[in-house]
Amino acid sequence: MAVVEASAAMRTALTPATRGRRTRGDRPSVRLLDRVAIGLGIVLTLVVLLAPLLAPHSITVPTGMPFAPPSTHDWFGTDEVGHDIFSRVLLGARASWFAALAVVAFGVVVGGLIGLTAGSVGGWVDGLLMRVTDAFLALPGPVLAIAVVAALGPSLWHTLIAVSIVWWPFYARIVRGEIRALAVRPHLEAARLAGAGRVRIALRHLLPGAVAPTMVAASLDVGNLVLTLAALSFLGLGAPSPAPELGAMSARGLPYLLAEWWVPVIPGIAVMVLALIANLAGDGLRDLLGARS
Amino acid sequence: MTTLITRRLGAMVLVLILLTATVFMLQQNTPTDPVHAFLGANASPEAIAAATHALGYDRPILVQYASYLAGLAHGDFATSLRTRNPVAADLVQYLPATAELAIFGLLLALLLGGLLGMATALRVRGSGPLRVLMTASASTPPFLLALGGLLFFYSWLGWLPANGRTDMADPPTGPTGFLTVDTLLQGDLGGFADAAAHLMLPGVCIALLPAVSIGRVLRSSLVDALSTEYVRTARAKGLSEARVVARHAVRNSIGPALSMTGLQVGGMFAGVVVIETVFGWPGIGLYTTQSISHSDFPAIAGVTVVLGVGYVLVNTLVDILQRMADPRIAL
Repeated sequence: MAVVEASAAMRTALTPATRGRRTRGDRPSVRLLDRVAIGLGIVLTLVVLLAPLLAPHSITVPTGMPFAPPSTHDWFGTDEVGHDIFSRVLLGARASWFAALAVVAFGVVVGGLIGLTAGSVGGWVDGLLMRVTDAFLALPGPVLAIAVVAALGPSLWHTLIAVSIVWWPFYARIVRGEIRALAVRPHLEAARLAGAGRVRIALRHLLPGAVAPTMVAASLDVGNLVLTLAALSFLGLGAPSPAPELGAMSARGLPYLLAEWWVPVIPGIAVMVLALIANLAGDGLRDLLGARS
Repeated sequence: MTTLITRRLGAMVLVLILLTATVFMLQQNTPTDPVHAFLGANASPEAIAAATHALGYDRPILVQYASYLAGLAHGDFATSLRTRNPVAADLVQYLPATAELAIFGLLLALLLGGLLGMATALRVRGSGPLRVLMTASASTPPFLLALGGLLFFYSWLGWLPANGRTDMADPPTGPTGFLTVDTLLQGDLGGFADAAAHLMLPGVCIALLPAVSIGRVLRSSLVDALSTEYVRTARAKGLSEARVVARHAVRNSIGPALSMTGLQVGGMFAGVVVIETVFGWPGIGLYTTQSISHSDFPAIAGVTVVLGVGYVLVNTLVDILQRMADPRIAL
């Protein structure tokens, strides 16, 4: 037995929440709320996609006096320079949302590839890949991400790289677990008897079964990523000053909290709304996929 | 048990080697060249070559890594580019404040998480709204919580202080470095109240996210445990519901919650950095933020190693505790 190995209980904690739900998923109808939550997620994606068209004011040119409170002209007020906070929040939400989706996508692809290879090849390849994955899981991801961005130099791009580096092991574990569970099913034996090759078995008979649980884990993860990326941006690790980033906007507004609360609080609320929609949509997707299978 | 502990310690050493190797590699690739930083911008090529040799940067990379490790083992974390102090000296100065905040936050997260998990699993009256509140809390960035807490409890109600660890003119400096403990040891109740009041808002802000995660995991394993046959047997024996839950259900479902606690410590450390910045808490987090804005990589590397070691230690401890709670867990 290899030395670096996650404890059995740690693996339980890392198993996607579909496991328990699926066995108990005996609800006949899918709740309307789940569909609404997923719909909200789609609407949010469209809104942030169109953010540059929807933003009423420029995000770099002041639109009025500094520290104007929220009004009909500037819905969320203006910041210390006179920028319209609503427009900046809209574009900041766009950056946050797509950044979170990009990290998840990277994690799913890279982690998925490693998990699929480990799970379908088995043997020493499985052992080696999973020991490496466990070693990465044993490091404190968010803290390491701070160090990586600090070493590369602050920018949104570097933040994405740093977080992606520490995020994929989670997906490698999930995909590998699903693949191993599928590998003992009868349809695998049938495929092998029919003479299917290794690659064909992995791609056509194992991978499809791992897609749904991985998608559920990924969608539940988007909210976490929104929060983690906002925290790194708050610490000054994101794009430099004029770029609209929600965490950085809140951090720069911190000195004005007591007199002009909207400057730091509104970008923070925007982060919360993004994470909340992501979490609700993730829950909805889990219930939907759980009920179907 | 001994083999278990030996094995976990062995794994810990390997993980620490990976951690230090990562930090070392990052250090090699920072945009600031240490030789240039050492000599200044106008150094001649000969001087640079001489200094590169004198500082050991022309040695093979593995030799450099080995001497870096040896330095760490002797408490040599290089010199901060910002404070011009040895990073180790800075860390020793800032560590007690962070340790006090993190330990308080962790205890609070365990307490809150346990209560949330039990209340929602047992469907205590009012736990429906509690689950909605948990989803909302899981989506709240800690810095927003801190801003809200400051506006409500400091600015509006005036109940809690906003900044730093204490308002005392000369706070106790020892023996533990934890102000809440040191004031109690000196019998200074006023000082204790002051330190505790300062600890309250930052502590709650870092505890809430982990508390919700712990609560969710505990809830799901507790719900499973409550539908098992041994719980039915315990009820059939006529045990009180409280005893059934405490002695039979909770004890058997504590494992996943414990591992979730260990995993959450990593996110909590990042939360500590953010929260210390908001509250001006004079700890490692504030030191990190200031180092980030000065591109002070040696300082950040030191913080990463210290927090990484803390994380690995906590998780090793969690594994061992888990095994003690449930000997069936194979490691």
